[in-house]
Amino acid sequence: MMDPPPIIRLRNLRKEFNGTVAVANLDLDVADGEFICFLGPSGCGKTTTLRMIAGLETPTVGEIWLRDQRIDALPPQRRGVGFVFQNYALFWHMSVYDNLAFGLRVRGIAPAEVDARVREIAESLELSPILRQRAARLDLSAMQRVALGRTLVVRPQVLLLDEPLNNFRPGLREMMRGELKRMQLSLGRTMIYVTHDQEEAMTMGDRVLVMNAGRLEQVAAPREIYRRPATLFVAGFIGRPPMNFIETQYHVEDGRAFLGHGRLRWEIDTRRDAIEHQAPSGRVIVGIRPEDVWPAVLAVQEREPAELTPARVELVQPLARKKIVDVNARGVALKMVVPGAFPVRAGQTLDVVMDRRAFHLFDAQTGRAID
Amino acid sequence: MTRAIAPPAPSSAAVTARLPRRVYVAWAARLLTAGVIGAVFFLPVLWMLSISFKPPTEWLEYPPTLLPKEPLVGNYTFLFNPGNPEGAIAVMTGAAEPVIPAFVNSLIVAPIATLLSVSIGFLAAYAVSRFRVGGNFMPFFTLTTRMFPPVAFAVPLLLFYSAVIPRLIPGLRLYDTRVGLILMYVAFTVAFALWMTKGFIDAVPRHIEEAAILDGASRWRVLFTVTVPLVRGGLAATTLFVFILTWTEFLFALIFTQRFAITVPVQVSHYAGAIGRFYGPQAALGILASIPVVVTGYLIQRHLVTGFTFGLVRE
Repeated sequence: MMDPPPIIRLRNLRKEFNGTVAVANLDLDVADGEFICFLGPSGCGKTTTLRMIAGLETPTVGEIWLRDQRIDALPPQRRGVGFVFQNYALFWHMSVYDNLAFGLRVRGIAPAEVDARVREIAESLELSPILRQRAARLDLSAMQRVALGRTLVVRPQVLLLDEPLNNFRPGLREMMRGELKRMQLSLGRTMIYVTHDQEEAMTMGDRVLVMNAGRLEQVAAPREIYRRPATLFVAGFIGRPPMNFIETQYHVEDGRAFLGHGRLRWEIDTRRDAIEHQAPSGRVIVGIRPEDVWPAVLAVQEREPAELTPARVELVQPLARKKIVDVNARGVALKMVVPGAFPVRAGQTLDVVMDRRAFHLFDAQTGRAID
Repeated sequence: MTRAIAPPAPSSAAVTARLPRRVYVAWAARLLTAGVIGAVFFLPVLWMLSISFKPPTEWLEYPPTLLPKEPLVGNYTFLFNPGNPEGAIAVMTGAAEPVIPAFVNSLIVAPIATLLSVSIGFLAAYAVSRFRVGGNFMPFFTLTTRMFPPVAFAVPLLLFYSAVIPRLIPGLRLYDTRVGLILMYVAFTVAFALWMTKGFIDAVPRHIEEAAILDGASRWRVLFTVTVPLVRGGLAATTLFVFILTWTEFLFALIFTQRFAITVPVQVSHYAGAIGRFYGPQAALGILASIPVVVTGYLIQRHLVTGFTFGLVRE
């Protein structure tokens, strides 16, 4: 069965500002009805990409397609996309009704039709009771709905959102996320959502596109991104506390393959071929998430002594239901996560277990994952 | 039994009557302070009002009294009818002109100059704010006209008006004309209007305009339907300030007018001559001259207090 054609296609998209590359050669297909998040640190190019899709920036090179129509040469209002700004950018001095009607009036639509469409959208977003209120006097949830309504009233095919929840304090943010996601599901409209908050992207997106310094690092469903990060950057960016990285050297001894760092070493069997092909220099970065480092006493199965690594506790940071423990294991600094009730003190020594199956391997030269 | 501070009685009269004394004292102190400050600002005006109703005998009276002993409206009528002075008000050649022409001139020059100045300044401010026109230097450069004492411009501009312009554009007379005065005022106030409105424009986030542009609004439409309503307060304040500047401007009006384009401030100065000063009519004219400004201020005060409801970013 063939997949339905993508609703948005980016081909070889590139944007330069005075010689600085903001977005480098981006290729992407967005599926119809999908909620995709663009995630990355400040300055990674995610907002620039969004603005190019909207028409607020012109690409230096590349093509943007909406269904079967090329839109990168069209002005914003003819593209069939809706844009929601940070802080919503409502027209404060106008009523909710006028805010919703603005786009339609600019397009010269007859007043009767404008009225009908505005009321229809207001109804679906529960804005009917406050149609006459001035936009400046609304509460946040209403503002979000008006901002969405303003874009929806012109019936766009795709909605673009530029960090709309950025300036909200944490408690409110979670609530708004839920509302937005529910709305997207009920409307069934494709949404491209830009954020620098990984928790937001991972909880809301059907797929997450991770960007860094203008480059696409990985695009996949959140689970995939978490379990199989494609690059060193993605591995280090996703997950809190961040992944532990250990620089190791691959070497063969008596026909057995090892990854070693200082006094630590692990024998490798199943991924030998992959390492030899994909990391020709022999330098491999081993990544292991703090959640995958366990005190030996808590490990599910009994472990061979050879698998245990003695470590000294440097720092304990207690959180509500867990503790983040910084340990020094034979010269390597690691963070691990233990249950909140587990007794551990700075200065204590204990054995830790690192399951080789939980290792993420990366070629030190390219940063790409070794699979 | 404790003393009741907040009595349960529902009627407001009963509540007020039982407020503790210290609340009254604080309230009275505030009123007194406000009164003193208000008096300091308003005393010159009050004095002017008082003189305008005094007969000549009381103009220079010592010790001065605020209320006239024999109030009269002769000062006011003299303004409009100098040929028939009442009572002891002597006739002086300089003061024999009725004031209506001066008012007419002022009422033409000041509003037009204000409107032109604010319009040009606002559009320029928008260009500087949104499109960075002129880079870093040009907007700053517009302030140079305000950096010199205005009188330093007087002689060069006088030469310009009377000698250069008629030679450049034959037949065009700017000296002693309302047009000439308007052009002068616009030139000197437009930089002020630019900088004052620019601050208000900068306060309007670009996102709002971008949102309108995304919907397809042209730049002009964005300007008038989105930006202007949001800077209404700033525009009103700027208009009032520029109007005050142009209405009360004396130096250049004095230098650049002679007979036909005399404005009210110049007319006021005509009431002091070699023989003496006509304090009464002068004060009366001063009071009358302040009326248009007060009225304008009153009419636009609604816009001055639009309320900066920047309620978008909330915590």
